[in-house]
Amino acid sequence: MAASPDQEDPDISGGTREISVNITPFASTPTPFSLRLMQGPGSPRTFLLAREEVILGRSSEADIQVDSTELSRKHLALRREHGQYTVFDLGSRNGVYLNGVKIHSAVLHEGDNLQLGSVVLVFHEGRG
Amino acid sequence: MSWFVKFWGTRGSIPAPGPQSRKYGGNTSCVEIHADPALLICDGGTGLRELGLDLQKRKKGEPIRGHFLFSHTHWDHIQGFPFFVPAYDPRNEFLVYGTSRGDRRTFDLLSGQMRSDYFPVEFSELRSRIAPADLGDGHAHVEGFSICCVELKHPGRCFAFSFEREGKKVIYATDNELDLILADPEQPRREPAVLRTFPEPLVEFMRGADLLIGDGQYTDDEYPTHVGWGHSRASTLVDLAMAAECRQLAVFHHDPMQSDRDVDRKIDLCRERAARHGGKVVVFGAREGLELRIG
Repeated sequence: MAASPDQEDPDISGGTREISVNITPFASTPTPFSLRLMQGPGSPRTFLLAREEVILGRSSEADIQVDSTELSRKHLALRREHGQYTVFDLGSRNGVYLNGVKIHSAVLHEGDNLQLGSVVLVFHEGRG
Repeated sequence: MSWFVKFWGTRGSIPAPGPQSRKYGGNTSCVEIHADPALLICDGGTGLRELGLDLQKRKKGEPIRGHFLFSHTHWDHIQGFPFFVPAYDPRNEFLVYGTSRGDRRTFDLLSGQMRSDYFPVEFSELRSRIAPADLGDGHAHVEGFSICCVELKHPGRCFAFSFEREGKKVIYATDNELDLILADPEQPRREPAVLRTFPEPLVEFMRGADLLIGDGQYTDDEYPTHVGWGHSRASTLVDLAMAAECRQLAVFHHDPMQSDRDVDRKIDLCRERAARHGGKVVVFGAREGLELRIG
């Protein structure tokens, strides 16, 4: 039953009072952005995206090397801006397909599927 | 010379920002077509603000010259214009096209929305050169693009544009209630699975497009309560893309009530419909930040 104005709870009618509470800091574990190689040489494998710009291709100079002849030496770039990664086709021979659509560039979101020839990767958003 | 289409705003009717629209975006209609240095801008919804900021960055102080083609002047297609930063720079120049000879209607309405009753900066205070232009008898050549227009089915008049260059073709056709111009408007209710038939002039206008950007605001479930609102059910748009043998279809002008998940589902249904009828068209949901190379 709710207390009427003239039957106030004596514990709260006297204003504020000190209490003791143990506060455990909220632990938020940052999760990095990542690309999961689902299909292609070396799959399955996860690549963490830690840098502002990441190049993926067949070349040993690429940040992420996938040794497939269907990939160009520098096939695509992932660039981070305002907390989001954008994928850019670097003029590759076989193109970059996002969820089945051939694209030039696109902001990536959780679960986006990138297909480069028969190589398939899935993008995962990070947090923190 | 390569040319590109980039989506800056894909939402219909009113901006719908928030966590539920991160993937497809919450900004209203704005599509950029560019082939350096040519710059064409289809509609000035709220997505135009971000295009303006990006142009400032991309052009690095070089003068910007652009051509605005507005499908119509409903709020969600013009609201971004007062926030288009390049319009405030005296080095820049923009042309605003009417769809017939001497047609200044769009230019006048665009400037009208910046009267002091609506916005603190008057149109006359914009420091770039902004001038009216027109598509003559509905067709014009603009910086290497051949542009045509055709009227759509939408309250208060609305136009689609076709852009052709080097053998490739893009159609921008938003705000169009296809279901009201079907040869048999009752057919979708009676036989929803059967392909719908469209007026031949519209099909010919879109024939063979490499990319059709079309109004597919509603699902089949949503449309019956929105008849007469000026927008299509996405399934009808799929049928049009197949009838016109378009290569790719960007379903555009997403309803503001649709979450990313809802749009995903709408697109899945569109793809299923195309596949069921043996259509080769690649169907996808237009989303902010997506850029396609056309040619």
